[in-house]
Order: sequence, then structure tokens, then C-alpha cells
Amino acid sequence: MALLETRGLSKSFGRLEAVKDLDLTVEQGELRGLIGPNGAGKSTVFNLITGFDVPTRGTVWFRGENITNVPAHKIAQKGISRAFQQSYLFMFSTVLENVLVGCHMSSRAGALREFLHTRSARMRDREARNKAMEILDFMGMAHLADEPASSLSHGYQRCLGVAMALACEPTLLLLDEPVTGMNPTESAEMVERIRRIREKGITVILVEHSMEVVMNVCERITVLSYGQKLAEGLPAEIQCNPLVVEAYLGKEEA
Amino acid sequence: MRRAMLFKSNKWWLIPAFLLAVALPFFVGAYRLQIFIFVITYSLLALAFQLTMRVGLPRFDVAAWWGVGAYTSGMLMLKANMSFWLTLPISVLVSVVLGFAVFSVSVRRGMMVFMMFGMVFALALQQVFGSVKFFGGWGGTPQLPPVTIGSYVLNDKMWIYYLGMALLIFNLGVYQLLYKSRIGRAWSAIGSGLRLASSLGVNVVGYRLANVLVGNAFLALAGSFSVVYQAMIIPTTYGFQQSIYVMMYVVIGGLGFAMAGPIVGALVLTLISESMRAAQQYQPIVTGVITVLIIMFAPWGLLGVLRSRVVSVLQRLLSSRAALPDIPSSLGSPASVTAEEPGKDA
Repeated sequence: MALLETRGLSKSFGRLEAVKDLDLTVEQGELRGLIGPNGAGKSTVFNLITGFDVPTRGTVWFRGENITNVPAHKIAQKGISRAFQQSYLFMFSTVLENVLVGCHMSSRAGALREFLHTRSARMRDREARNKAMEILDFMGMAHLADEPASSLSHGYQRCLGVAMALACEPTLLLLDEPVTGMNPTESAEMVERIRRIREKGITVILVEHSMEVVMNVCERITVLSYGQKLAEGLPAEIQCNPLVVEAYLGKEEA
Repeated sequence: MRRAMLFKSNKWWLIPAFLLAVALPFFVGAYRLQIFIFVITYSLLALAFQLTMRVGLPRFDVAAWWGVGAYTSGMLMLKANMSFWLTLPISVLVSVVLGFAVFSVSVRRGMMVFMMFGMVFALALQQVFGSVKFFGGWGGTPQLPPVTIGSYVLNDKMWIYYLGMALLIFNLGVYQLLYKSRIGRAWSAIGSGLRLASSLGVNVVGYRLANVLVGNAFLALAGSFSVVYQAMIIPTTYGFQQSIYVMMYVVIGGLGFAMAGPIVGALVLTLISESMRAAQQYQPIVTGVITVLIIMFAPWGLLGVLRSRVVSVLQRLLSSRAALPDIPSSLGSPASVTAEEPGKDA
């Protein structure tokens, strides 16, 4: 049984078919790249998987369960987390508080107990804080825990986005262009962290605009073009696939 | 150093504010005290508005639910001869149950639907209170029986004022507990990033519904409290216009200040209206202009202005004594303080 499976997944916005009959299968433990030119529908696929958009047709299956019409927060609780393409953070909160939102939601506690500050609730709070600090440490930004998120550099803001997604303890992590706008050092560090996330047993789907990063880090790649699957395979196969080259560079003038 | 520490713990002003509030009845007459009783009521309304703003929902049905509380208490006292104190929990229950019926429809449909639904509901409800004979019509209910504690009739303004204070402090205490808990964290998350919050597993509809119903409970208490100091209930008191005023209280006080903002706003605006009693027809114009000016030039309200001024003065004081280099940096620039402030509370 595949970890994630989409069957005939389609999404139209008015007349525009953003995603069309997509069959995507991701196995447990994979590090999958999802690439394609601008407007190929990569982010829409993420929105459909995580319940932010409702597909026009088709279904999404996670661990053998149909999650097509499940609301976004329930999908997150089932173990699919995402880091957004834009630096989408709780800007007015501190770095630690940002991560805690994810931690708290993953540790289910009675709301009433929480409200009454019982001893077990306080203990859970401390555990959540420890966990959040561990994740921040992993992302190399523990020293920034008490800084407001808005004061972070662009690179650290992207890191925080990933840290928040990790705090939900995902089985499947969706990363939407995590290295965009980073300098080469930051980018290399992020690539290294993505590898380590996967070594922890978390399945990763990586949307990336730049071919180089994907070729470097993913062992299987799916190429989208105009919402349809154009090719799928190993990086080497994708690299010399004429269809892919054409989609990226445009048809050669006759 | 000590001054800076005092300033950094932002609760220091609570003690003088509390003492001042307790001592107030000994300095002002019964008429003036009634104005402050209104301030307490309006603070309760504004706190409910502010609470729901925290989850990104502006509610313009505040006065309607205030009316639900008033009419529940009033009607039970008039028709069932019930003690006022017994009507308090019942009015909370009515407000929450009725609120659940209304909001479980509107909250899941997003901010715009919630807002419009609330306004329509508020208008319709006022019509019900005014037109349905049972509630006594537009002229108001019959004379309400007095509120008593044992054999003592609660008509002394001072004790009504203290009852209101107790209610307000209870309200603030519950809000404080909620804000500190995971519920509050989820509320803040929803308020500052709806999609981000749900991507992290926060049940947006559920938490929003809970938030609005907590607000409803306190609005009902405020409604019941208004029965104590009124001879009768008049439907126009709980009209749509009052909901607009509640919004103005919150904006003027400072949207970023979850607790103090609504209270300061209600206080300032009520005192302004009261000082304009001679020219009452111009009063909505003046308060409207003030609100617009605040939105344009001080988007974080009066408290935002106060906070940034105090910080800049404090900074100047400290930087003149070069021996304390670490403090200014920990306080940050006035600009960054005002910019961060909404997030801390909002």
C-alpha cells in the first residue's frame, strides 16, 4: 500500500484546468521531487492533497484512507504537514511560539484541563516547549527562539516554516520551494536538512522550481506540465527526457 | 535599572488602576457614578468584540446579544418572579444555546458571511423585542422589580458599581486564563494566519465557534447587569448603533491591547459623549471623526500612542546615562515596539 495516492485528480478554476487527471503514487520513505515550469499546477496539487482546495474530480488516498473531502486541519492531524511557498508565518509571535502552535495541536489534550492549568497540562506545556526547542535546534535556529518571527532574515523565515511543519510530527511532509530566495550556503544547508528529515523516516515531497536542487536531492522525480503528468522516473532519466527538456526550454524553432 | 524592569513587566499599571477604580465611588457623586457604571457595561461589550476580533471575526451583533441577556433576566423577573441572581446563569445559558444555533450556521462560512449574518440577526432581533407583545413593545417593558440581596434592595449606585467591577474582573480573569492556555494560542494563530493555522492542525471553525460563544456568555452577563440599574428595558438601547459604538471603543483604545484597549476606549468615548451632553446631536459626528483620525494616524489606538511615547521617553532618559547600555536594546525602538505590540495581544 502506497503512503499517498491520487487517482484521476483534477482541479479546474473556471475554464482553466490547473490539474488534470493526475495519478501520483508516493511510497513510504520516499523523497519525491515534483517539478515543472511556472503554472504547471504544482502548488495546486499540494493544496488538493492538504485539503485547502476541493478537487473537481478524482480522489486522494493517504495510508489507504480516502481523504478527498476531509477538512485541512484533520488532514494535518492525520500526518500530512506542509511548508508554504511564501514565508507564511505568525509574524507578530516569537519563533518559539510559532513552532508551539504545531506542537500543541499534535499533543491532544482536553481543552478544559488546558484551560484550568492542571498539573498534567502544565507538564504537557513543558514537553511541547522542549520538543519545539529540539526542532529549532535541528533547523539551526535555537538561538533565535525568542525573536519575533518578523525580524528573521528570509533564509531563517523559510527554515521556521519547515520547523513549524515538523512540529506537527508528520508522516508526510510537503515542501513548496523551500530554497527559493536563499543564498547558496543557506540553500546547501537546507538541502542537507531535507536529507536528514528523510533519514528520520519522514516521507518528503519537494516542489522545486530549480532543477539542480531536485536532481541533487531526490531519487524519484515527477514532472508536471499544464496540470498533467509529463514524465516520472530517476533524475538521470528525467534529465535526458526530450519531453521534459522541451517543456522547460520551449519547442525548438523549426 | 529598576525602572526599566518595572516597565518591562507590563502589568505594573494594574495595581494603581485597580486602586483608583475601587476608590472612585468615594470621589464622585451618584450621577457621575452612573456614567462609570455605563463604562463598565460598555467595557464588557467591547471585550467581547475584541475577543472575537482575535480570531479574525468582526462582530456587529454585540448589542443584540447584550439585549438577549437583558430580556432573559428582565422577563424571568417580571413573568416568573424569579430572583435576579437566579436569572444570571439562565441568561448565559440562553445566550450560548441560541448563539450555538445561529453561529454553527454562520461561522463555517467565513468572515464576510459571519459579519453580515450577525448584522441581519441583530436588526431582526431588535424588531422582535420591539414588536412582540410579550416583550412589552417599543415603549419598553413594565417597571422591573428591584434587585435584592436578602432583604436589602440593591439600588445604591455604589454597590451597583462594585457589582459591575466584580463582573468585569471575573471577565478579565477568564479571558486571561483562556489567552494563556492552548485555546488562546490557537485563537491567536487563527487570527494571524487562517490557512497556516489549519495547516498545523488547528480546527478553525471549532475554535472560532468556541470563541464567539464565550463572548456570548459575557454579553449575556452584561445584559443581565444592565437590568440592575434600569427601571425598565427599552429595545432601542440594544440597537445596531450600539454595536457600532462598541467597535469604536475597541479601535480607539487600541486593537492590539486585548484587555486594556476595550476598557480605555469605552472610558474615553463615554466621557467624551457625556461632556457633549449639551450638544448631543453632534456627538456621533465628533466620535466618528475621532475614530477615523485614530485609524488614520494611530492605528494601534490611544494605548499604542501611549506605549510608544513612554518607551521613547524612557529610552532618552536611559541613553543620557551611558552606564546602562544593555537596556535600550532590550526595549527596542519605539517604532518596533508599536509594530510588535498587536501580535503580543491581538
